Amino acid sequence: MTTTREKAGETGRVKPGESLIEVNHLTMDYKTKEGRVSAVSDVTFHLKAGDSLGLVGESGCGKTSVALTLLRLQASNAEITGGEILLGGVNLLDLSEEEMRLHRWSDISMVFQGAMNAWNPVYRIGEQIREALDLHWPVKLTHEQSRERIAELFELVGLPPEAMDRYPHEFSGGMRQRATIAMALSCNPQLIIADEPTTALDVIVQDQILKELKKVQAELGMSIIYISHDIAVIAEVTDHMGVMYAGKIVEYGGTDEIFATPRHPYAWLLLSSTPSITGPRRKLAPLVGEPPNLMKPPSGCRFHPRCPFATDQCAAEEPAMEDLGGGHLVACWNHEKVPVGLSETPKEDL
Amino acid sequence: MVQDPRPTPELAPDEAAVGIDAGTDEFDFEPLWRVRLRLAWEGFKRNWALFSENKVGIIGLIIIGIFFVMAIGHPILMATLWSDKQNIYDPEIGYDAPVKTLLVVEEVTDPETQIDPERAKLFDASLKAEVGDTVNVPQQPAPPSLAHPLGTNPRGNDVLSQLMFSTKAAFMLGLVAALVTVLLATTIGSVAAYFGGITDTLLMRLADLVLLMPLIPILIVLSGMFQVNLVILGLIIGVLNGFGGTAIILKSQALSVKVKPFVEAARVAGGTNWHIIFRHIIPNVLPLSFLYMMFTVTEAIALEATLSFFGLLNVDMSWGLMIQIAQSEGYLLRFDTWWLIVPPGLAVTFLAAAFFLVGRAMDEVVNPRLRAR
Amino acid sequence: MLGYISKRVAQMALLFVVFLTLLFLLLQAQPGDFASQFLDPRIPAANQELIRQRLGLDQGMWGQYWTYITNFFTGDLGTSFMRYPKTVWAVIVERIPRTMFLFTMATMLSYWMGFLSGKMLAWRRGGKLEYGITLGGVFLYTVFYPWFALMMIWLWAATLEIVPINQFLTPDFWLDSPFSATSVFTAMIWSSVLVVGGLLVVQTVAGRMKEYRTQVLLRRTGRVLVFGIFVWYWASSSMRPFAADITHHAVLPVVTLAFIAFAGVMLITRGSMLETLREDYILTARAKGVPDRIIRDKHAARNALLPVVTSFILGLAFIIGGGLVTETVFSWPGMGELLLTAVTSNDIPTAIGTLALIGALALIAHIVVDIVYLFLDPRIRVQG
Ligand SMILES: Nc1ncnc2c1ncn2[C@@H]1O[C@H](COP(=O)(O)OP(=O)(O)OP(=O)(O)O)[C@@H](O)[C@H]1O
Ligand code: SF4
Ligand SMILES: [Mg+2]
Repeated sequence: MTTTREKAGETGRVKPGESLIEVNHLTMDYKTKEGRVSAVSDVTFHLKAGDSLGLVGESGCGKTSVALTLLRLQASNAEITGGEILLGGVNLLDLSEEEMRLHRWSDISMVFQGAMNAWNPVYRIGEQIREALDLHWPVKLTHEQSRERIAELFELVGLPPEAMDRYPHEFSGGMRQRATIAMALSCNPQLIIADEPTTALDVIVQDQILKELKKVQAELGMSIIYISHDIAVIAEVTDHMGVMYAGKIVEYGGTDEIFATPRHPYAWLLLSSTPSITGPRRKLAPLVGEPPNLMKPPSGCRFHPRCPFATDQCAAEEPAMEDLGGGHLVACWNHEKVPVGLSETPKEDL
Repeated sequence: MVQDPRPTPELAPDEAAVGIDAGTDEFDFEPLWRVRLRLAWEGFKRNWALFSENKVGIIGLIIIGIFFVMAIGHPILMATLWSDKQNIYDPEIGYDAPVKTLLVVEEVTDPETQIDPERAKLFDASLKAEVGDTVNVPQQPAPPSLAHPLGTNPRGNDVLSQLMFSTKAAFMLGLVAALVTVLLATTIGSVAAYFGGITDTLLMRLADLVLLMPLIPILIVLSGMFQVNLVILGLIIGVLNGFGGTAIILKSQALSVKVKPFVEAARVAGGTNWHIIFRHIIPNVLPLSFLYMMFTVTEAIALEATLSFFGLLNVDMSWGLMIQIAQSEGYLLRFDTWWLIVPPGLAVTFLAAAFFLVGRAMDEVVNPRLRAR
Repeated sequence: MLGYISKRVAQMALLFVVFLTLLFLLLQAQPGDFASQFLDPRIPAANQELIRQRLGLDQGMWGQYWTYITNFFTGDLGTSFMRYPKTVWAVIVERIPRTMFLFTMATMLSYWMGFLSGKMLAWRRGGKLEYGITLGGVFLYTVFYPWFALMMIWLWAATLEIVPINQFLTPDFWLDSPFSATSVFTAMIWSSVLVVGGLLVVQTVAGRMKEYRTQVLLRRTGRVLVFGIFVWYWASSSMRPFAADITHHAVLPVVTLAFIAFAGVMLITRGSMLETLREDYILTARAKGVPDRIIRDKHAARNALLPVVTSFILGLAFIIGGGLVTETVFSWPGMGELLLTAVTSNDIPTAIGTLALIGALALIAHIVVDIVYLFLDPRIRVQG
């Protein structure tokens, strides 16, 4: 137990503004009976301590796969074929299983997609949070101290402290999700990965939880990677964002900038197909076709079968990431052709 | 539209059939029965592919196949190879005592210690022989030989013939028990799930009751009080299973079918209750029913053998009875006459195991959660 | 919680009455009545009538039913034919502890072994070993049980002579014993029950402790204490050699029966564990950096246990049947063996009485499992 804590401290905490996590050219396949699924392909992004990053993309584009790989929790049939994940300069992919275990939760914690089932039904919520504290808190906490800590956390996420003695099935979905966030915060991790933490909740609770999360992150100064297929959610909580398509990041940059001037046709279509409550009424641009089968990803640019701007080059050659200045990156041969502003059509016919 | 790239789940046969159903009046499509047949065939091929991935299931099928050959082999052998030796090879009344020639080596002075009592009865008391003579001793039971590949039993019956003959009984019993179980359990499960309320409560309490009944003790008492033969035994097992555990399991399956959209659609379209149960719910419960048929066969074979072993069943010949004969003649706890107990014991075990293995493999087809990732 | 338990008990009592009724109907379904079946036809008709009256056979069906039920609950099961003039109750009562002993020992052993090995099998998914053990499990599950039992006797008792053949004690040894076999047996059963109860108490009390270290300490000392008292009791008891004799005889039947039931438990645990390992909360635990062994034992196995406990109810009939066969094959003089001899010697009152009591035992086992489940699954506990 004591060795656990000493080792966990070794990575040290990254100072705000310094690079916390660097993912370089991460590539991961799932081996299945039918063939290899290329779920993560050459994914690169960097995140400074204290920053927030959003990953957005259609269902099945590999967002969860990226997140799990960061914790090295990828499914047993997954194979990482290349790339590195640097956490404070240490490549997580080189660590032994035991060393990696010590980084989990103390440095990187996660709020899972569908957190409804993230709680073990036979233990009290408090006990399950305490398990994390027992494993990762720098010093051994007494029973009272850990209860105090959990009460603190509950307050932070807007739950009554008494609730820690209840079982998961006695919580509503929203409460469970808050408790999940409390548990993710419990050991003061440097990075929280939130994988669609609010998708299963109703809009009002969703909004509350988002606000809570944002507030907590600002207060505690931790970094967050926020994953969602809902681009509006990403806009609300993140400074930077990456747009994923079929296992690749196709556009990366400041959230505001991408929202204002999406350069990748997919990002442009995605934004255009999202109804905006505040902006002018417009017809939603169609994103036609289906996402590709990752078993046999399309040649060249993976988006070309669905891309309105596709040229012959697109099917033949894969576009590289191009820096448009100011850290705005895009991987598209024809990004100049993408109109500035969203595909606006007057609204009479709607 | 955000779409899931993963393959869309297969339509349940019913949903697909309903879709085409609507078109048959107006268009000259292939007739409905052919559609159904084709869908069934495709479903079968798909399931077979899943099933055959599982080696264990294939092993089970092969074992069942071997026993099946034994079952039909017996009457064929009786009609051909053994036709003129019916009096030897008949499983019940056949008799043969192969003669073994022994050389007398030593005079018995103290029979108490020198002759083991089991073998003593092989010898004819009137036999007079000197050291150096050869005597002919009829053997009963006789060890395996060319004429009797698995030897004979203490009554002089051919063991192989009995073994093969009994296979038919095992299959027949299994079939009766499984059919009755499935018929009852499927109907009861579907009805309970579909109607719910008091029907459900009554049927499920009944199932609880049956589940609690210790089957073997009850069968023992029943067979003590009445003449129980194979068909009756099959019926009893079928009824008890069909009202008991299997009904409960199939009901939960039927419940999950009941909430499917096509059932609602059929109700809206004015389908009567019974029409919906038989046309929509039962067909979708059937795969699981077949699975439990396999487990019922396993159970029935084991039960029959156990009851016959206790000598409580009214059967001509069965594997359990073969062991019972060995027991009653005192050949049980010894291995020098292994052919009396090993073949029937293994036959029961293997055939029961084969059906169980097929059941387990089917379970993985029907129940995707069990499949290897 | 108490409400839930009493509701279950009431349900079970009702079920039992229905069960008795079915047995009664079974008796009625026999051709002719008792008197016509068992009385010597040479007895004059008037006397036959008298006997009929005394047996209550003239009361009509409802009257007979009423007598039957009330008799049953007052412990009057009639007179045994084969052990005349002993009452059926007297015949059965000395057999109950023996059957209970065999049944509970084998059940606990098989569930313990089956759960552990099923857990390991699922954890080490894949590989030849798993394949082999699973096939072996299937073999044990479907093996023709009487035959398997005979093979066990042949191997361990007849050939290797490690354990005695059959019987449940060595008669010569007991000739001038100051104790009756039943009293030794009862002491053995009670002490085992107390050990199990003591362990449960230790577990519960330790669970209430706040500090993890106190919990561990309490658990360890508690276990040592409970086993210590058990060992001390038997070491100082004058019954010890007799208990040892019974134990020596009991080993093989208990192990054989446990083996059979073990396979089923193992296969169920394996399946349930595989499903549990796929749950989201296992992923959460891994993300929390919980060590693998703790994930397996604390998170996965604890949940995988629930369906295994439920399966006990489905397996109850199986293990009771197995117990009956065991008793017969091993000449273990319990209720199963009694039932079979009663049936073969046409002693219907004893047969029916034994069957009814076996049913009662099954019901009690069922209730015990219900209560165990209550402690294991908090989702039921609260509903009351
Ligand atoms: N264990 C696995 N084996 C094989 N393929 C997998 C496995 N897990 C995921 N996939 C496939 O990998 C692709 C990416 O899946 P992933 O779960 O990362 O998507 P996602 O972007 O998180 O989608 P969603 O929004 O639906 O959560 C999908 O096509 C999925 O079918
Ligand atoms: S590279 Fe070609 S196909 Fe790909 S997004 Fe750009 S224009 Fe479309
Ligand atoms: Mg996902």
